[in-house]
Amino acid sequence: MTAARFNELIHAPTRLAIVSLLAASEWADFRFIRDELALSDSALSKQLTTLETAGYVEIRKGFVGKRPRTWAKLSRTGRRAFEQHVAALQEIVTRSGASVSVAAATAQGTPAPAD
Amino acid sequence: MAGSTQPDDAASALAEIGRRQAQVIDAVLVPVWYWWIVAGGMVGIGAAADSKQPAGIVVAALVIAALTVAMIVGAYQRVRVRDADLVGGPGALLIVGTVWLITGLTIGAAFGLRALGSPAPGTIATAGGGAALVVCGPRLMRRLRRIMMSRRAGVSA
Repeated sequence: MTAARFNELIHAPTRLAIVSLLAASEWADFRFIRDELALSDSALSKQLTTLETAGYVEIRKGFVGKRPRTWAKLSRTGRRAFEQHVAALQEIVTRSGASVSVAAATAQGTPAPAD
Repeated sequence: MAGSTQPDDAASALAEIGRRQAQVIDAVLVPVWYWWIVAGGMVGIGAAADSKQPAGIVVAALVIAALTVAMIVGAYQRVRVRDADLVGGPGALLIVGTVWLITGLTIGAAFGLRALGSPAPGTIATAGGGAALVVCGPRLMRRLRRIMMSRRAGVSA
């Protein structure tokens, strides 16, 4: 059972999207994250730097052939913070009594239906 | 901040998390066209075996192998899912079981048809195996997706 802890840093929309992508990944290529989230290079770099500074993300640079590549992965601290944040969100929703529709929506990977 | 977050906002955030994680999972699942090409390659192998053309078997096998390697490498360079966490034992068993079942049935059918004196046992058996692959492959991916979505980070939190 993960302790619920709301995380303001992760909750910001763009960072929430990045961390969610990384939570399902061992690691992800910079371009993959950029394309999936429709972000600019600079916007993604800025958010990754913020997450890296907080110790939530590890950045690795390297080459594939002659092409420079950047990979990102969620650190152990970042993963724990993410899971605690999800638990906090679930707690908020559960307290309001809307847990069933949200659980179903997130399990499908689709947005919760609007009321 | 948690105290000021409304249930609607929290629900939206959870839905967003699910959607983003689904993007990663979808990026690594095998597309439908792959099963059709592998099925075609299988029939090619069967037909080449019936017509005793070893070069045809090699070419078809190489096409399947090259396609599979290219797809794995391509996906691997973009994103790597947390296999152990997401796929887990049930997912791995499902993949291995399906591949072995279809392969075993196809080979068994080919030998059975040859014993019965069929003029094209390889072609017929691999056509059946290919059809099974085209039907079962996408279903396997859908099942895997469900498994991975249910095992992703935060769901059991």
